[in-house]
Amino acid sequence: MNSKLQISALDLRLTLMAVVLATMAIVFHLVTGNFLSPENLYNIAQQTAVNGIVVTAITLIIVARQIDLSVGSVLGCVGVLVAFLMYSKGWHWVPASLAGMGLALAIALYQGWLTAVVGVPSFVVTLGGMMSFRGAAFLVADGKTQPVTDPVFLALGGGIDGSIGPLFSWVLGVALTALIVWSGMARRARKVKHGFPLRPLAFDIALMVGTSALVLAFVATMNAYRLGDKPDAQGVPIPVLIWAVVVMVVSFIVRRTRFGRYVFAIGGNPEAALLVGIPVRRVTIKLFLLLGALTTLASVVAVARLNAGTNSLGTNMELYVIAAAVIGGVALSGGSGTILGSVLGALMIQFLESGMLLMDVSIGYRMVIIGQVLIVAVVFDVVYRRFSGERLT
Amino acid sequence: MSPARPPEGAHSGVQQHEGTPMTSALIEIRGAGKTFGGVRAVDDVNLQLYPGEVVAVLGHNGAGKSTLMKMLAGAHPMDTGELLVDGKPARITSPSESQALGIETIYQTLALADNLDAVANLFLGRELVTRFGLIDDDSMEQAARQTFHRLNPNFTNIRVPVRALSGGQRQVVAISRALYFKARVLIMDEPCAALGPEETRMVHELVRRLKADGVGIFLITHDMPDVFGLSDRLSVMKNGKVVGTYRTADLTEDEVLAMIIGGKPVTRVEQRPAP
Repeated sequence: MNSKLQISALDLRLTLMAVVLATMAIVFHLVTGNFLSPENLYNIAQQTAVNGIVVTAITLIIVARQIDLSVGSVLGCVGVLVAFLMYSKGWHWVPASLAGMGLALAIALYQGWLTAVVGVPSFVVTLGGMMSFRGAAFLVADGKTQPVTDPVFLALGGGIDGSIGPLFSWVLGVALTALIVWSGMARRARKVKHGFPLRPLAFDIALMVGTSALVLAFVATMNAYRLGDKPDAQGVPIPVLIWAVVVMVVSFIVRRTRFGRYVFAIGGNPEAALLVGIPVRRVTIKLFLLLGALTTLASVVAVARLNAGTNSLGTNMELYVIAAAVIGGVALSGGSGTILGSVLGALMIQFLESGMLLMDVSIGYRMVIIGQVLIVAVVFDVVYRRFSGERLT
Repeated sequence: MSPARPPEGAHSGVQQHEGTPMTSALIEIRGAGKTFGGVRAVDDVNLQLYPGEVVAVLGHNGAGKSTLMKMLAGAHPMDTGELLVDGKPARITSPSESQALGIETIYQTLALADNLDAVANLFLGRELVTRFGLIDDDSMEQAARQTFHRLNPNFTNIRVPVRALSGGQRQVVAISRALYFKARVLIMDEPCAALGPEETRMVHELVRRLKADGVGIFLITHDMPDVFGLSDRLSVMKNGKVVGTYRTADLTEDEVLAMIIGGKPVTRVEQRPAP
């Protein structure tokens, strides 16, 4: 296979996914008439955030040839603990959330240690964890629902007062656009300085304009949504903001830190990683800790969204986030995947859910269809990798 | 992190007179042993490597040569025995410790992460970072371009995953690690096994060049032309033990083969534990 395809392989794949996503949106809109309304897009963005936050970390877990089936249960367990501390113990939401973070990191350390040091396959470790922590979620508050009322905490989950308003949305949108343009230009300038080959200028400009336009269009859509009789439009929901920050931070970790590079190296060739002196165990444990931290974040958002912590919080979530990661182009054989792909994968599942909901498709059919979409994504993955020469068989 | 550089004067005073080593060995292995679940993979092995010489290590599959080399590379720590580096006792328990002593290893499998590009693979585990501890991709790309260029001026697609590269280009990436990080001791495991004639010539040239720079090289190989073309001394192993260590020029190919197969030392000429 020629090298041009290899260079642009990931970009080509993401482009294809974006096209599929856009096509889905248009088809759903034509069928339902209101899929692309600001209200629906606002809800989709808000609903995807919880899963989206976790998918970024699950993507890296799968890249490193691990899996975590316990995220849903851990999310539930942590969520109930946070809500329990606030409702039954009267804690402020900050220490309560930090306690939840402590629990999630302790679980991550335990499961990471079993996987990386003892050498139990993470599939088994987290399968056990999935059951145990679902049970623990019940035990924390004896199965009782723990309502939360702190308005600041609830804003983290979105809802009526959970967005930043039109002005801040525009400020953020413009700032992000400026960041996109600046980093694109700085990148070119660095390459020129070092005499490295450049991508075609038109391509870079198209990329900058395209992403900037997307950001601004998103802000405009969120600012076009007015809830009830509030005087101002909603603007960007806080959960989406949190998700966006997570995506940027994790992308940065992947691109600019040794840890991020080692995750991919371990996934690409675990033996080589050991032979060149990469601390494989430490990196694996850190990876589980990262997932634990992001699960806590998602858990707080989920509890705030529901206004309560219940022991069923996050049930089946592991399936959705793994499916989203796979649809987003992460290879279960390890070593390949992107954070942007995880965003698109999470959105695709939510598009399907939302679109079919608007079409009054029953829950049974929705599950059947989403399951088969997952298969289609994996079939596409296999065919694509064969085509691009990544897989020889 | 800056690459490990040899201390000043490490290569000076190699050999005052022909055949009489005046300086301490780069590497001296004394009574090394390694057991895997009851099997003695390496058994009481003594071996020395001096600056600027190539020592070929020969033997059947399973003779223990790869295990012995992995001890030096830090992949399998020694169970018993002593290791002297520059005459000073050293312990190697991890690949990083081996690298810190100036030992570089080129594995037969090349130890490349196929999903990463050539630049990332050259620096894998030893990335250059900015003062904020972040990966310094530009500096690495620049250094990598220079290093690759020294080995193969035609190798320019260094930003694609190495799975897309040819066998020779992949070998260049693996060898570049030794070159860039200024190996003082180089372990090469079957370096020419999967290479065409052009690339084999490149490897031979490189070995001669590094040798002239005072690098000590262990060459694990099955290939007799490699042994007689490159090595100064050779050591034959069988069943985890060293059969004998000789000056390559003293032996014939038949005698070497006989030692590999029969495991009996040649008595016609004297052994040479040191050059």
